[in-house]
Amino acid sequence: MNIDLSTYKGLFTDYTELRCQENNSLVIGFLKGNNTTNTRLTTSGVSARVYKDGAWGFASSPETTADGVKFVITTATHNAAFLAAKERQDAPPLPHGEVTTHHDSPPTSQQLNPEQFVAFLQEIDHYIATNYPGLASRTVTLNRTELKKNLLTSDGASAFSLLSRSLIQIGLTVEQDGAPVSLHEVFGGRGQFETLFSTPEALYPKIDQLYEHLMRKREGIYAAAGLKTCILAPEMTGILAHEAIGHTCEADLVLGGSAVGTKRGQPVASPLVSLVDFAHTAFGETCPVPIFVDDEGTTARDTVLIDQGILKGFLHNKESACHFQVPPTGNARAYRFSDEPLIRMRNTAILPGKDRLEEMIASLDDGYYLMRPSNGQADATSEFMFGVTLGYEVKDGKLGRAIKDTTISGLAFQVLQTVSEISQEFKWLSGGMCGKKQLIPVGLGGPALKCQVMIGGR
Amino acid sequence: MSLKELNTYALQALEEAGAEKAEAVITRSEKTEMNLENGALKLIRTTVDHHLRLTALQDQRQGSILLNKIHRQALAPAVKEVMAIAASSAPDPAHDIAAYQPPKIFSKGETTPDLDLMYQRVKAFTQQVAADFPRIVLLNAHLDFTRQTTFFQNSNGVDFTVNQGGYRFAITFSAQEGDSSSSFNNTGFFTLNLDQALLNCGSLRILLDQANQGQAPRKAPGKFIGDVIITPDCLEGFLHSLLGITISDGPLIAGTSPFQHKLNQLVASPCLTLASCPVSPEISSGYFITSDGYEAQNTPIIENGVLKTFLLSQYGANKTGLTRAVNDGGAFVVTPGDQPLAEILKGVKKGLLLNRFSGGAPSPNGDFSGVAKNSFYIEDGAIQYPLSETMIAGNLIALFQSIAAVSQERIDFGSALLPWIYAQGVTISG
Repeated sequence: MNIDLSTYKGLFTDYTELRCQENNSLVIGFLKGNNTTNTRLTTSGVSARVYKDGAWGFASSPETTADGVKFVITTATHNAAFLAAKERQDAPPLPHGEVTTHHDSPPTSQQLNPEQFVAFLQEIDHYIATNYPGLASRTVTLNRTELKKNLLTSDGASAFSLLSRSLIQIGLTVEQDGAPVSLHEVFGGRGQFETLFSTPEALYPKIDQLYEHLMRKREGIYAAAGLKTCILAPEMTGILAHEAIGHTCEADLVLGGSAVGTKRGQPVASPLVSLVDFAHTAFGETCPVPIFVDDEGTTARDTVLIDQGILKGFLHNKESACHFQVPPTGNARAYRFSDEPLIRMRNTAILPGKDRLEEMIASLDDGYYLMRPSNGQADATSEFMFGVTLGYEVKDGKLGRAIKDTTISGLAFQVLQTVSEISQEFKWLSGGMCGKKQLIPVGLGGPALKCQVMIGGR
Repeated sequence: MSLKELNTYALQALEEAGAEKAEAVITRSEKTEMNLENGALKLIRTTVDHHLRLTALQDQRQGSILLNKIHRQALAPAVKEVMAIAASSAPDPAHDIAAYQPPKIFSKGETTPDLDLMYQRVKAFTQQVAADFPRIVLLNAHLDFTRQTTFFQNSNGVDFTVNQGGYRFAITFSAQEGDSSSSFNNTGFFTLNLDQALLNCGSLRILLDQANQGQAPRKAPGKFIGDVIITPDCLEGFLHSLLGITISDGPLIAGTSPFQHKLNQLVASPCLTLASCPVSPEISSGYFITSDGYEAQNTPIIENGVLKTFLLSQYGANKTGLTRAVNDGGAFVVTPGDQPLAEILKGVKKGLLLNRFSGGAPSPNGDFSGVAKNSFYIEDGAIQYPLSETMIAGNLIALFQSIAAVSQERIDFGSALLPWIYAQGVTISG
């Protein structure tokens, strides 16, 4: 990572991005008290991407040496030239963004050593085993990730960015009538482990809450399948913002026929709904995945996708911005050194409203309060789905029995038209990873929503 | 120093640093990839990577490290760090490395890509799709050639070299009708060479033809318990989910597997025979060694509905006292049935042709629910119309127990060989 990329500017013959990157991660896992995993992973390397007459060439190498850098620039240039000569596309040059420089500061906190990490997790595992001996199984997993990127473009942009995330995932399993019932939760988010997790004890009240939910889920019922009025907790709204709306507004998907393609300037949601893909700062605080400069060297800016129910815009890289004749938004991101930048979300959130969650639940006669999501998927049609691992039925304004794992779905823009209340309470989901050819960390946020969705069940 | 010599050197360094048992694995890969975006060839990628994985065991404590700096100077700090990680771990007598097996070199596939042929195949594919399936939008597609060499050595004398090369093609597409678009769908396949036109491989032609028909999708009629014909594209995911919650390390070590005591017992319909065949000539991709360092073998998993093996790693086997699996799973081959798909379809009173399932991860007890994507409503033995906004729910174990028929036809994905299966008792709600 100490290589001076500017030394190689002379090798650029066309529009070129040169990126040196290192990804570090530490994974320590306990399964039912057994230390099944204790491993550290480091991958680093250099890549170049070159644009010529509408064609792209890309190359990467793990060698962050002069030879490695020369190899990726010449190979990427050759790949672009090969394709440009074959395809002969009539494409305009990419837009020149403002020349930008950005430099993140390195972490300052003292890092734990390997023994301290293991001891920290062991203490949590011991707490669960001692306090909840009736569990059939338990998992305690640490996943600490750090992405360091150094970027130089032929436009003159340069940036050093650092993204850290530290997560502890707790999974609890109990048996009911011989069948396992599980619940898990992820704690932590952006930042160093040492600043996010002061002591194991600080997590105990949250683990106790998780156990209480599990005990209620153990007695849970199947949701009744069909269209229901539901209150989505902020954790659920975040994934709705990402899966259901954010993906359909990625300009590459818009060009591929996404449902929003012809809807700019039109109402697509209740006027209560506003949705923003934040670059790095929201509500005066740093977002879970702050992006100041994207991997094409564009200064990242907030992008309003929906303003009071009206569809306002899409997420862009330089090439799609050129196509739509708008400025690039800074959404071109790559996960590993060997990945090319794709149009990706950063911190996508529905903005908070004026209602109180408690009163929203009290106003629901018959429906569900859905609290924790699992995985989700989106579609060009705006049809979304995501798993629900924790939820309760609501009858006459009161929480009732827990429900078993289920899935909700709907057409995003129909669901958003049914939004009747939005809470003041807002929460970021900071452990999210989005998969679109490559994985990438994303932030998902939102308030609680009252709306109608399809729920899977019996 | 060659990569093999470097790997041997790394193993020696671990032993000299005090590892009682040690393992060193170097993998080098080189990929050439052509990318289509919205129907146009947009990008060529060349990626070179290599990584070194070191594992050390000391006093029953295990640590490992993976890095992609594999020059000699990087080894000393890596060895020091992996020993520190091992020392920090909690002891567990179940950790071990593979037992001695005679040294062996495995080779499969081509060594270098034919870039011009790759280009010709991709161009021919886009032209054929445009001509034969005019409603199809190729959102993205990529054809890659990957060559990988792995050196696997451990302190018990295991010394394997694996050379593998081949082409992988994957596409994501939708169908356009006026201003509206169908759901995305995706499929792909692996092949050792580019002898055939891409469109003739895997399930491409079938799926593109279905999507191109342009009939407006509708919801399934209300809520009912119905039948499903699960297509080969959809089946692989269901198989991975079923085996993941029943016969893999996690649930068996935790003691929560619904199949914990079901070895050699009926766990699925007698219509189902499933094998994992990583070294079969029927599987073009596959693998030669397990992640533990054992030479992989083919194995039946479910034979006429009877569970024949757990998919336990060496650690999982030591932990549970059960037998280690002879492979890592995957590379699925399902034995064909005796009815053509068309005959099976005629027997469906009310249900779905399930092309893709978009759902939450199944519960540990097998419960699943999600959206039936790119699927079709079937009534009175005939496909009626494509579906939208239709959910299905059921239990994976019950689903595989309810299989009433398996098709004669199978799709060869290169990485799996799968038929259509006809199962019953799924809640369908539109």
